[in-house]
Amino acid sequence: MATLASRLKFQGLSERLTTTKQRRDNFYGYLFLIPWLLGFFGLFIGPGLGSLYFSFTKYDVLSAPEWIGLDNYIKMFTDDPLFYTSLGRTFYYAGLGVPLGVIGSMFLAILLNAKLKGLAMYRTLFFMPSLVPIVASVVLWKWLLHADFGIINQWLIDLGWSDPPGWFGDRRWAIPSLIMMGLWQGLGGTRMIIFLAGLQGIPESLYEAASIDGATALHKLRHVTIPLLTPTIFFNMVLGIIGGLQVFTAAFVATEGGPGFATTFYSLHLYRHAFDYWNMGYASSLAWFFAFVIVSMTIWQLRLSRRWVFYYGS
Amino acid sequence: MRDHVSRRSFLQGALAVSAGALAACVAPAAPAEDMGDEGAAMEPVHLRWDTFRGIGSGWNEERIETFTEMHPDVTIELRPLAGSGQQDNYAKMYAAQAAGDLGEIIAFDPSHYHFWRAINKNIIMPIDELVAADGTDLSQWFEHFLGLQYYQGKLYGFPSWGWAGFDTLVTNAVHLEEAGIDLPDPTGNDVSIDTIDEWAHSFYVEGERFGLNISHNEATVVVLCRLFGSSLINEEGTKCLLLDDPKATEAMRWAYKLGVEEQVLPAPGDLENTGGALVAGLLTMNWCGSLCVRNFKNQIEDETVAKAWQILFPLREDGRIPSQLRGGTWNLRTDQDHADVGYQFLLHIAGHDGSLDFNLVARNFAMVRPDVVQSLIDEDPIHEWFIPSLENGIPAHAPANSRGREYTSAVQQWTDLLLDPHQPVEFEKGLQDLHDNIQAVLDEDPA
Repeated sequence: MATLASRLKFQGLSERLTTTKQRRDNFYGYLFLIPWLLGFFGLFIGPGLGSLYFSFTKYDVLSAPEWIGLDNYIKMFTDDPLFYTSLGRTFYYAGLGVPLGVIGSMFLAILLNAKLKGLAMYRTLFFMPSLVPIVASVVLWKWLLHADFGIINQWLIDLGWSDPPGWFGDRRWAIPSLIMMGLWQGLGGTRMIIFLAGLQGIPESLYEAASIDGATALHKLRHVTIPLLTPTIFFNMVLGIIGGLQVFTAAFVATEGGPGFATTFYSLHLYRHAFDYWNMGYASSLAWFFAFVIVSMTIWQLRLSRRWVFYYGS
Repeated sequence: MRDHVSRRSFLQGALAVSAGALAACVAPAAPAEDMGDEGAAMEPVHLRWDTFRGIGSGWNEERIETFTEMHPDVTIELRPLAGSGQQDNYAKMYAAQAAGDLGEIIAFDPSHYHFWRAINKNIIMPIDELVAADGTDLSQWFEHFLGLQYYQGKLYGFPSWGWAGFDTLVTNAVHLEEAGIDLPDPTGNDVSIDTIDEWAHSFYVEGERFGLNISHNEATVVVLCRLFGSSLINEEGTKCLLLDDPKATEAMRWAYKLGVEEQVLPAPGDLENTGGALVAGLLTMNWCGSLCVRNFKNQIEDETVAKAWQILFPLREDGRIPSQLRGGTWNLRTDQDHADVGYQFLLHIAGHDGSLDFNLVARNFAMVRPDVVQSLIDEDPIHEWFIPSLENGIPAHAPANSRGREYTSAVQQWTDLLLDPHQPVEFEKGLQDLHDNIQAVLDEDPA
């Protein structure tokens, strides 16, 4: 009995000690969470819910919001000539720019994963454009792509193209110009680094086995590398599409939405209503609709991923 | 005592803390009403000057220093606004006003179309009583620029900067001299539209040089319509004239002919830096304003490549110079305790010395006072060129609903579409779209 009593006593002490330690751990855990939670509630959830409310109001910041029900949403679909066009241009930009960017980064990563002399230098060189601030990059590209005096058109003329594109000044070429600029900056950036990490996670034994079976480099790429990279491709696609749909800065700086609305993307249209025209209520409704579109697309991508994303070992 | 903090209770606590923090950030209570008694006026006064004008030049600091030397009980805090574009700074000022943190000395510029909105939103105060109490002589400013500071019969500020809009063809005289053309009198108004048309063609060299640049911004389109005897919108700011006045239609047709049919003008986006193109000899005539002439002259490094000249447009049938007189303002914020002190500071920055240095130190264009114009002419005779438009120009017309930003944006973008040589639209269709979209802005509810 005594033994049992002493064992119970020890167990109780142990539980108390554990509880005290757990309480202390919890306390510190939550303490360190506080800054993030403050930001999350104060700068994200709070303003987010505020904008949801404003989306049902007429609000210009300087006067009290006036409840107008669904009017902003009705106006968006029926009486805003730039709503559909800006949405269309945004999808055009993302639809062309993201696949090119993801595929380009992947092949660049595959090249830079090879055992080459001076590999670190190549990786650094390709990564460097992503370090250039976007505004500086826009200024640079505006000069390079200047329709009449830009060096790229001078080269094109020298190569025999008598009527080269007007690039940023040409409505047909303005979005491709922005995509081109984005590719220059983004191909070798963090997306390439993520692909490199994904490539280095592929077991060498699979390539050895493929070699023994007589696979060529192309076979290995098609049947080993790409399937095992699908989780990375998927990850980059999801982030790329979200980022692509939010395109703003380059168009804001390079073309201010022009010429003739050619680069008035959805975010720019939203920004104009919010901070140029002070239609904050209408801008909020545009923002919530767009959030719905982006979340829907992400869910759709997640569902679609079951068909083509392969997780090794799962 | 509970053994550990539950997730729910912690999140509730965090939410409460967040709400408390947010509440602490809410705008402070409105300042107390003007105390009005002499004892209060004797207290040290602190004013805040929110502006993007002159920042970085030393002008603002010099104005504060000279003012506080005269008024030792007053301190003025300069709070620079540094948006990426001038318009961004209005957004900051509106936000500051909403947060109860807007300075006492501010500027809502009529030429940026924010002046009237700020009055309607009760952000800036009328100063008529202060003018009367001080006995200020209002004739020290040009009448037309002072006139821009009135709204519904009340005066809301003093002119700071002012010019005649895009009233000039800033011209590279080297090109004219090389072509054996006698330089026209810079104040003569004696170059006809036909001659401008001819020079737009003769100085154009494909891939090397443009003879004429016509921007598609509102400042240009308004003066283009005025050149042909009309305007873009009516004086009341309620109606677009492009389809209703044949002269306005004719103006746009002329620009369409040059830009789309004959393709001798830069396409949208072709000339990002027209000032640089002028200096480099890549452009002969740039449709701009007197400020551009002065800047062009100051930027020239090699006079064998570029030499500054100006061509004023021909006079209209009514004898007026095609132009758009626009001017900026220094204003006082409403609901402030020491408006009388703020008023004295307005006089200090809009007076002769303040205005002259605003030109010479802050590099703004502020020909809003006759005495300053004379000082500027003494400094550089080129300023004589700008007097005719100031004396005989046409004031700007603003949208009656204060939707200035939407208005300028609609003009720019839809003119881009009308005058785009890469994807040309039929003139009638493009003009109809431009007209309809400007009218749609003018028909919106007041801002």
